[in-house]
Amino acid sequence: MPVEVWDIRPALAPMVSFVCALLVFIGGSRAGWRRFWSMSAALLKFIIVASMLPGTVGGVAYTFRFAEFAPGIGIGFRADALGMAFATVSSLLWVVATVYSIGYMKGERSLGRFFGFFALCVSATVALALAENLLTLFIFYEVLTISAYPLVVHDETPEALRAGRTYFTYTLTGGGVILLGIAMTYVVSDGVLAFGHNGIVPPDTTPAVLAILFVMLTLGFGVKAAIMPLHGWLPRAMVAPTPVSALLHAVAVVKAGAFGVVRTVHDVFGVELLRQTWLPDALAYLAAFTIIAASVMALLQDNLKRRLAYSTVSQLSYVLLGIALLNPWAAVAAVVHIANQAVQKVTMFFAAGAIQRTTGKTNISEMSGIGRRMPATMGAFGVAALGFTGMPLLAGFISKWHMSVGGFDSGMWWVALVMAASALLNAAYWFPMLYLAFFKPVSEEPTLGEARPSLLYPTLVCAVLVILLGLVSDLPGMPLSIARTAVAQAFGM
Amino acid sequence: MSEWPGQLLVSVLALPVTGAALCLPLHRISDRVATAWTLLVTTVTCAGAFMVSVRVSHVGPFSHHLGGWLAPWGIELRADQFGALVGLAAPVFALVVFYGVRYSRHAVEAARRGPYDALLLINLGGLLGFSFTGDLFNLFVFMELFSLSAYALVAYGKQKVAAAASFRYLVMGAFSSLLVLFSIGLLYQLTGTLNMADMAYRLADGVPHRPVVLAFGALALGFMTKAAVFPLHLWLPDAHAAAPSPVSAILSGLVVKMGIVGLIRTYDIFQGAGGVDLPTFNMGLSTLGAIAIVFGAVLALIQDDIKLMLAYSTVSNIGYIAVGLGLFNESGLTGASIHIFNHAVIKAALFLALGALTFRTGYRTVSDLRGIGRRMPITVGALSVAVISVVGVPPTAGFVTKWYLAVGAVAAARPLLAATLVFSALVMLIYYLRIVNAFYFRPAVHEEVERAVDPPLDMLAPVVLLSGASLALGLIAQVPIGIALPGVMRLLGGG
Amino acid sequence: MSVHSNSLLSPALWAVLLPLAAACLSLLYGRLPRRGRFLLLGTAPVASALFAAILVRGVLAGSSHEIRLVRLMPDVYLSLRVDAAGALFGLSVAVLWSFIFVFSVGYLRDDRYAGRYHTFSMLCLAGLMGVAYAGDLITFLAFYELFSIMSYALIVHEGTSSAIAAARKYIVYIAAGGSLLVMGGALAFSASGAADFAAGGVLGPGTPPTTATGAALLLIAGFGVKAALFPLHGWVADAHPAAPAPFSAALSGVMVAAGTFGIVRVVYEVVGARWLAVLAIDRGLAAVAAFTAISAAVVAIKQDDLKRRLAYSTVSQMAYITLGASLLAPGPLTGALVHITNHASMKGCLFLCAGLLARNAGITRVSQMGGIARRFPVTMAAFTLSALALIGIPPLAGFVSKWVLGYGMLDAGAGGYLVVLLGGAALAAVYLLPVVRIAYLGEPSEEREGSLAPARPGNEAAPSMLAPIVALTAITALLGIAAFADGSALSLARLAAESLAGSR
Repeated sequence: MPVEVWDIRPALAPMVSFVCALLVFIGGSRAGWRRFWSMSAALLKFIIVASMLPGTVGGVAYTFRFAEFAPGIGIGFRADALGMAFATVSSLLWVVATVYSIGYMKGERSLGRFFGFFALCVSATVALALAENLLTLFIFYEVLTISAYPLVVHDETPEALRAGRTYFTYTLTGGGVILLGIAMTYVVSDGVLAFGHNGIVPPDTTPAVLAILFVMLTLGFGVKAAIMPLHGWLPRAMVAPTPVSALLHAVAVVKAGAFGVVRTVHDVFGVELLRQTWLPDALAYLAAFTIIAASVMALLQDNLKRRLAYSTVSQLSYVLLGIALLNPWAAVAAVVHIANQAVQKVTMFFAAGAIQRTTGKTNISEMSGIGRRMPATMGAFGVAALGFTGMPLLAGFISKWHMSVGGFDSGMWWVALVMAASALLNAAYWFPMLYLAFFKPVSEEPTLGEARPSLLYPTLVCAVLVILLGLVSDLPGMPLSIARTAVAQAFGM
Repeated sequence: MSEWPGQLLVSVLALPVTGAALCLPLHRISDRVATAWTLLVTTVTCAGAFMVSVRVSHVGPFSHHLGGWLAPWGIELRADQFGALVGLAAPVFALVVFYGVRYSRHAVEAARRGPYDALLLINLGGLLGFSFTGDLFNLFVFMELFSLSAYALVAYGKQKVAAAASFRYLVMGAFSSLLVLFSIGLLYQLTGTLNMADMAYRLADGVPHRPVVLAFGALALGFMTKAAVFPLHLWLPDAHAAAPSPVSAILSGLVVKMGIVGLIRTYDIFQGAGGVDLPTFNMGLSTLGAIAIVFGAVLALIQDDIKLMLAYSTVSNIGYIAVGLGLFNESGLTGASIHIFNHAVIKAALFLALGALTFRTGYRTVSDLRGIGRRMPITVGALSVAVISVVGVPPTAGFVTKWYLAVGAVAAARPLLAATLVFSALVMLIYYLRIVNAFYFRPAVHEEVERAVDPPLDMLAPVVLLSGASLALGLIAQVPIGIALPGVMRLLGGG
Repeated sequence: MSVHSNSLLSPALWAVLLPLAAACLSLLYGRLPRRGRFLLLGTAPVASALFAAILVRGVLAGSSHEIRLVRLMPDVYLSLRVDAAGALFGLSVAVLWSFIFVFSVGYLRDDRYAGRYHTFSMLCLAGLMGVAYAGDLITFLAFYELFSIMSYALIVHEGTSSAIAAARKYIVYIAAGGSLLVMGGALAFSASGAADFAAGGVLGPGTPPTTATGAALLLIAGFGVKAALFPLHGWVADAHPAAPAPFSAALSGVMVAAGTFGIVRVVYEVVGARWLAVLAIDRGLAAVAAFTAISAAVVAIKQDDLKRRLAYSTVSQMAYITLGASLLAPGPLTGALVHITNHASMKGCLFLCAGLLARNAGITRVSQMGGIARRFPVTMAAFTLSALALIGIPPLAGFVSKWVLGYGMLDAGAGGYLVVLLGGAALAAVYLLPVVRIAYLGEPSEEREGSLAPARPGNEAAPSMLAPIVALTAITALLGIAAFADGSALSLARLAAESLAGSR
């Protein structure tokens, strides 16, 4: 167990972007003001989160509690390894995404609202990552739900509003189920909701109650994690501007769901307790089904962002599958995939957005020769695509390898088969696009015309991150090492 | 016992009523002076009530015996935890009055403004007196004070329905007052006392069952009507929708809560009384509450008039409180009691924000107010925050209530109830979304909307403060909970 | 085995990094000066060859080293290790690539996507060098996947519909094979807890037999796709004709061999010869390899497309190597390893000749080659010599490897497979000699003669295309004649086989 140290930084990190959001709301009509606060808050938050990393690696969990609203429950933050893994990714990608959004959204209207809610979303994400108890997690989970809505409907078209309604219906219903689950947990555990003790639910709970709790919490969080058949909102929410899709629908919102499931398994039930039930197996099968089925759906999409959305649905279930196997290797895969998926998917979204802004093309079938027109952008896209197919030395391989080893280790051979099938399906829906972009002969050779620098450089930075996460992920403070610390704590190793 | 808290209690009750008497003559002299006087009295009274609450939270309940006569012979003023929750909400009243200065100039003609101010002060006095009395008859007197003033205030509404709504309110209000009076008479006859604590003590001491049940029924029914618990809510929507916005805020935020406080007093009195089957009553109350939640939510759904929608939302929210009371366990009662306070803040914020919109544009329906979000960003922003709070999205005040009620329902092994609580709020949210969409994401249809700007600071500040409070109270929820919890334990302890 | 104190000083690392740097540099292909860009890019394969030679010298002198670059995961490193087998393979790759690069300069002179070609070509070279010096299974897989996937770009390069179809077929096979490899690797890793290559294998005696079987089959099948083992060879015959000639040469010369090299690593250093023998997988593998060797040779006879015929020949020849490796004895393994090198030289040369003919005369079919030797005398001379070597005529390279292989078979008590060896050689004569006969003795078609400039010395082809062909032919001869000299490829192969299969 990590040593708890009282420190304000876990609360400060979300607070920074919350304050930024307020400032942007206040003076958001002026571009300079908006940019300055968005950028400085992003950087400041990343610095705060990063400054806690050495402690996390060294086995310290910085803790900060306030606003206790009944004995034992309240709003508290605790930077344990699992939370730090998520918080680091979110805050790092926020910096990149802010640069990108400033470039992408130039000339759009209602930018004060956009950047304000953007910051609010990240604030909520980091807060829920560092939440010290289940209730705090849920509170910020819902804040995230609400503050993502104005971003989803940013275009204010009827289509966007419809998508927003779908989004709200799904996620808020999920939120309601979670709330009931938490209330039930609270009653069952006799008032304990704090993480970090290898399970909140007492071991003598009856199997029926365990089953109901597990189903409520995993499916509740599963809505945002877009586990099939609860994924319907995600592809529709792709009407949002691309930076939003990138950061929120590939990183913050959906990952919050996946993260919730991880917390549920590791910290609400505890690995030991779940081992004695059939519940995680059921989750594993459902996740495996989602991985394959969503990939098949992705194959059928022509719109690039929709294909990305289904790919996200598929990739998120890696996290769920990994966590459901109750094996340390697979659990590492789950946690590290939160980071790997995020970086790879953001790269792709950034590239998709850059293409859309530069050429106006959104459908894959229109993108012949786009790689010869925008080689750097598409090169970054290619790196991420290779990462998803599990190419060694790229981020995705680390996840796939751990997952496969975990599958074998726990005697579930089919997990490796699912991984292999997923890799092939990923190849099947990304490689044709690379072919179109780079190799398909076109009647008129496109002239070189890259995206503007504020779109291009964030994309390239993310592509470099994909490589770094495949090469040096095991260095202290990098996702793999943090994930291993987190898993070691959850498994009591 | 030190004397000052008692004096404070007395002055909090006496000041508004006597102040109201001065309102009319002052009005003759000058509109401004009268307004200033009203503001002064309200502010001082509310500050006093707030201090009473602070004292309760620090040292627990305290009493003051008028004239030094101890209970059960004398008249006892008593500030307990539930009264303190109302006292805590008193600043809401002050903010509403502050806001109402400009609003009433626009909504109330000059000649009627004197009585208007007086009625507000009387209402305030009635509310506080009702909450801070230990004597059943005084309870009735104060109830009549705030009820009668409320009927009259509703009639200040400009729409044609206002008079009719006021009349219906009056009829049902009078009916419920009669029930309460009947019950008080019966109880006095049975026990020979009017002091509530003393009465509870004597009732527990073996009194004929049947009349006690009758008294209990009459009292509970009376207070349930005051609180507009389904199906006794019929008077509420029209009355709240017809009244001027500040009055609506007070009615929805505070006046209906008096019925709830009355119900809690009923529990206090009949806790140990033989023959009264409290568990059955509670089961019925929580079921009615659940129906009210759904019914209010669904009827709110079909309104285009936002004020009417807010009124139905009040029906729904009273349902929450009824469910909490009916659960009668620690979490449920805590949730119910803090919602007395939380809902006062939230609903006042909603009505005042909407009032500001109407003040600037003259419209009050969703379809007319399209596109207002861009024109009045601060007001609509405050409205949105309050909306989020009223449907119980974390981390707002509404969520705290929802959390306690859900835990209470689960702990009472009533999962269906828990699901109703949680999901009806979602239905509401998805509906409220229509408002937000219309305000922010749709083009304006009226020129008045295009021209509108945020209201002046004296109206804007109360809106923003209340809306901010409805958000902040989710984070500092331990304040009302800390006050309510000992009271809840006392109720559960079987006092 | 020594662990280098400073990994930056390791020639192995630079042999991998330089091509990577060249790949990055060639992104700017269009902006570099015409002459300078070839010098700059050409430095990479030549320098890699030099580094590889230094490493060979070191291995022959008895030193070997291992460097750990970075820890990818717990117990899994990105590590380079130079042993005799790797040094031999690395040198073969780098030398062949140097010639291929020179050839491609001429071959792609008018190609507007030449920059793209060089980028991916250099990436492939980096991958192959990494495969040669990989110190563990994960590193091996990493570089293996790198060049496998990047090869797609080179196969599809010409953009014709047949190239696009062939490349698609290739990537499907390779991606599937890659998935098998990762599964097998994960299985072996979960059973042993180590991803290193280790003499005798990493699977302990306590491993469950099902696990060992699974790991062995998955890994061998995975590499078998690249090594073109029947029935996984489907991509080979389409990919070779579709690719630009220099890349066909690389594909046949070293890339398919990388698959067999992987099989060698799996058999001896991952699963271990002992496990293979226990599970009887070695016999199954040998049977599959023998069947592949003969059947592919038979199919080759019927091909009219020259590159396709050569491709089937490659399938057949690679099966020899797999056969030699599957006998689990130092003798046949020596033959197998040296055949990788020899075959690279011979088949590389043959494909370059075919490419030259295709580019300068538009000839892609054997039936069009009548009398072509008069127009392309040097090219056809080189072709003939390499063909003879491939058939196994002494004292050329092919003879040496087959001799060693056959001798080893007898030595290992598997003399029955000599039939395959001899049959294969005979069939090679049947599919290669007619080409030579037609080229020298066949009647030229009038149409072709009209379109070609008359034969004149120096008019045959650009020097940048002709020189590599001549040089490779010389190397083929040298590999045969000097096979038994000190420091020859054969001696290195023998060293490698001893260390791999010697300690059972």
